[in-house]
Amino acid sequence: MHGIDWVDVGLSGLKIAVVLGAMLNVTPIMVWVERRGSALIQDRPGPNRVGPFGLFQSFADALKFILKEDMLPAKANKVLYTIAPMFGLIPALTTIAVVPWGRPFLLPGGRLFEPIIANVNIGILLIFALASMGVYGIVMAGWASANKYSLFGGIRASAQMISYELSLTLAAVSVLMSAGSLSLVDVVWRQTGSFVLFNAIKLPAWNIFSPAMWIAFVVFFVSAFAETNRLPFDFAEADAELVAGYHTEYSSMKFALFFMSEYMAMATMSALITTLFLGGWDIPWYNEPPNALGFALSVLAFVAKVSVLLFIFVWVRWTIPRLKYDLLMKLGWKVFLPLAVINIVIVALFIAKRWL
Amino acid sequence: MISFIIFFFFAAVAVIFAAMVVLHRNPVVGALSLVASFFALAVMYVLLEAPFLAALQVIVYAGAIMVLFLFVIMLLNLQHQAEPHTRPVQQFLGYTSSAAFGLALIYYLAKYGVTKLPEGPFVSDARTVGIKMFEAYIFPFEMVSILLLAAIVGALLLSGRTGAAPPVTGENKL
Repeated sequence: MHGIDWVDVGLSGLKIAVVLGAMLNVTPIMVWVERRGSALIQDRPGPNRVGPFGLFQSFADALKFILKEDMLPAKANKVLYTIAPMFGLIPALTTIAVVPWGRPFLLPGGRLFEPIIANVNIGILLIFALASMGVYGIVMAGWASANKYSLFGGIRASAQMISYELSLTLAAVSVLMSAGSLSLVDVVWRQTGSFVLFNAIKLPAWNIFSPAMWIAFVVFFVSAFAETNRLPFDFAEADAELVAGYHTEYSSMKFALFFMSEYMAMATMSALITTLFLGGWDIPWYNEPPNALGFALSVLAFVAKVSVLLFIFVWVRWTIPRLKYDLLMKLGWKVFLPLAVINIVIVALFIAKRWL
Repeated sequence: MISFIIFFFFAAVAVIFAAMVVLHRNPVVGALSLVASFFALAVMYVLLEAPFLAALQVIVYAGAIMVLFLFVIMLLNLQHQAEPHTRPVQQFLGYTSSAAFGLALIYYLAKYGVTKLPEGPFVSDARTVGIKMFEAYIFPFEMVSILLLAAIVGALLLSGRTGAAPPVTGENKL
């Protein structure tokens, strides 16, 4: 048995601390962006009293959540009611571990620093495995609350998430086929550099620019909204129909945990879309030097892309109205599933013809 | 050393939650316990250096199949239903067959040894599994897919027996 590499352990701890810190800060920032963004879209001021531009509103909200009374419905299943919010949070926090967020570079000691917490060769499968566990938090909350509206929310969530997980996974298969690997690190490396589209435009070699991936991108992007339970697909809470859906009976910090997991799932989904289709940490038309500068620039590029996607999530929520429930299921099974399968055939054709 | 601790922890989790599935009166709690048990089994696959199988175990069993189970249980609303008493002959058959199965399990585990790992390099990454499936095992693989197709057609036939389909109006047409 060889000894433990303490430098490696330290670096891993550092990476975990940085990523976890970033993920935990996503929620307050995104709540602020959401409230100010919705105000912008609806032509009203939004929260603007606490701090400059209302920036500290989220912290005031957090304080309020902590001080509120923690209610427990009389007929609720106590154990499941309590662990349900935690169960929702764990997948949202852990999936980010296999997403690379910068260009690797050599440390002064000749050690390679890889900006990814767990570089496993089944990366994307791990994400789908943990994401599929996320639905249990919602289902448990819906059932354990002993409330009909909550139960409806939980049942809707489980039906919706299995339906859209299929098209999400099949759309990702197209990308994995072109990369020839399940590892997200390889997927990003495959997208560095540039290519010339139709002998005319020089584009970065991101998957979104490749004609074989256009259908897959649209399917993945729309399914991501359904998978994170965001409008126009937020049937698990659908406030016009189900009061507040699965978290009707929740209050205080338990309710806040559902909020946090929603925004973290959004951040993870944005990071995943960035990695699969938008070139991950790659900067377009620029060859990052393999040193600390290139690393810093690539991290900035990654964060910028994720931020833009997060803003699009907010933008879509306040622009597009909610679908009808039967339309959602039809869209998933009769439109997106066949489209995703067709795209797999298209990618296979591209690979066979060596166009990819 | 660390892997031993992890093994015994998750083995205990798997066994305890598997027992919960059988012993707990509430079917929803039972289904959720089965999920936990499946998850602990996936950890066993990781310890056997087969992360690909572990991921599939979680995606297929814990993630997809058990969600459907839960979905059906919740729709049936079984939580407050008292079960009818079973007949003595059913109880006798149940206890004897479980006891026989348990004895057989102990006998074969003692005979072939529980502490030995399979010999040779154990490769189970996506590439190897895919190549094996589409070369050596292509026939059983296709047979299973035909079986599944038959099951889907059968399910559709059984569920669609309520006369003519409702007319498609402009509203519910996509």
